[in-house]
Amino acid sequence: MKRPFILILVSIFLLPLVVRPAIASEIWIFAIFGLGLNLLLGYTGLLSFGQSTFFGSAAYVAGWLLKFYGINAFLALGIGVGVGAASAALVGYLCVQRSGLYFIMLTFALNQLFYFTAYQWTSVTGGEDGMPGIPRPVLLGIDFKDPLVYYAFVSVLFLISLYAMKRIVESPLGKILQAIRENEIRAEAVGYNVPRFKLLAFIIGGAFSGLAGVLYAMLFGIVPLEAISFVFSGNVVFATLIGGSGSLYGPVIGSFVFIWLSESVSTLWARWPLLLGMAFVIVVLFLRGGIVEAWSRFWLWRSSKQKN
Amino acid sequence: MAILETKKLTKAFGALTAVNDVSLAVEAGTLHSIIGPNGAGKTTLFNLLTGTFPPSSGRILYDGRDITGTPASRIAHLGLARSYQRTTVFPAFSLLDNVWTAAFATGNSWSGLMWRRTDRYPEVTERARQALSDVGLSSKSNQLAREISHGEHRQLELAIALAAAPRVLLLDEPAAGLSPDETRKMVALVRALKGRYTIVLIEHKMDIIMSVSDRISVMHFGSLIAEGTPEEIQKNPEVRRAYLGGVAA
Repeated sequence: MKRPFILILVSIFLLPLVVRPAIASEIWIFAIFGLGLNLLLGYTGLLSFGQSTFFGSAAYVAGWLLKFYGINAFLALGIGVGVGAASAALVGYLCVQRSGLYFIMLTFALNQLFYFTAYQWTSVTGGEDGMPGIPRPVLLGIDFKDPLVYYAFVSVLFLISLYAMKRIVESPLGKILQAIRENEIRAEAVGYNVPRFKLLAFIIGGAFSGLAGVLYAMLFGIVPLEAISFVFSGNVVFATLIGGSGSLYGPVIGSFVFIWLSESVSTLWARWPLLLGMAFVIVVLFLRGGIVEAWSRFWLWRSSKQKN
Repeated sequence: MAILETKKLTKAFGALTAVNDVSLAVEAGTLHSIIGPNGAGKTTLFNLLTGTFPPSSGRILYDGRDITGTPASRIAHLGLARSYQRTTVFPAFSLLDNVWTAAFATGNSWSGLMWRRTDRYPEVTERARQALSDVGLSSKSNQLAREISHGEHRQLELAIALAAAPRVLLLDEPAAGLSPDETRKMVALVRALKGRYTIVLIEHKMDIIMSVSDRISVMHFGSLIAEGTPEEIQKNPEVRRAYLGGVAA
């Protein structure tokens, strides 16, 4: 339990030496986004294809308030968490009524609804041009305009998020959500109101997405239309699956791989998504537990060799 | 006093009336069996009692209270717990986690639901361990449910129901698919539980039924055709006809 945490701490310190601080920040922001999705995907067994709904909504609302009312950064983050949770409550309420394929399609369809609203409502969201000019306000005398300072801020929030998610998945709620994933009928019969717990998972996941959305908006100073599009929803599912949806750290590793590849390889080779596609096929066919499973299998293999 | 009662309970799926006008009274503290040929509507009756779906008509009384239409997730909190004919557990969980999840649901409080670690609920864990030891699975508590044998699955099935600390146990063919030896163990287990709980038992195997039941109700094509003590049921000509397809009598 200690080792992954130390690895993450070391990565946080080393990462800015290897990549630009903006990319380093994006990795941890995307990891927060992934943590939220994974509560649904990995723990509850619900494939949501609409996570960018909450990410984007929070980014737009908090971005608007930052831009025109110059609100405090903490307030912006709080509002982002609130908007993420509230939009997830709305979407989740409609989605948990159905299961399986219908559930997935509903999350997708509602995402599209939000996307086209943002697309059409140009006076607020800027439509295809995005919503530019979002400031990074000074907080407690610290100027976040310095990319490294902002990186430190993002890292701290990521660690807090990771800790919160760890507590949640190790709590009775985490157990109940996994019980729903394992056997919905029995979970209901032993006394859990399954739709209500699914909704709770949605709301918590939405809150994490909202936090990530606001951090993203402040990082790049803009809310691009993609932030609420299905591409973003797909990316976070993709990253989480590659990292490993079965474990707490899967989405963190997935985000690391996904953002790093997309930011560094994309400048070298325009067809880089091909690599991701191949990685995805390998994961789906051979490694359902993603990189986390590959890692644990490797250690198992090594320790069995050492014994011989 | 009857702890669980149905009044003219009926469930129709389209043209098929799976449960037809069933009025049944289960006395507190007894073991009441429901027998009948395949497709007689026994499991459907259980599904009605536990709120899996609502009845088409009729009423269900528990402890004198009308619980007709109560959703499945509320039923366990009232003190009714069931086991399933086809094993219905949490495969990726350890045996202890399987029963822990059931024990927590009906625990005294859900405080710390989102924050406290699951190993910080000593009274829930204690109840879970007790349920496992009641069915004789203590030694395997850390094994995963997907790794144990069919016979052990049947025991776990029962342990999950016990962990809810119910007043009434509804057991749907606990010995389904068991070998003669395992069946004997299961019968001993059910007999040990007798008296501690009110038990409603669905079973096919006649030898089990006759040896453990206080009362027996016989279902046939959705209706109750007889009720009585094991001796009375054995002598009942209508029951023989239902079981032997009209040849006897």
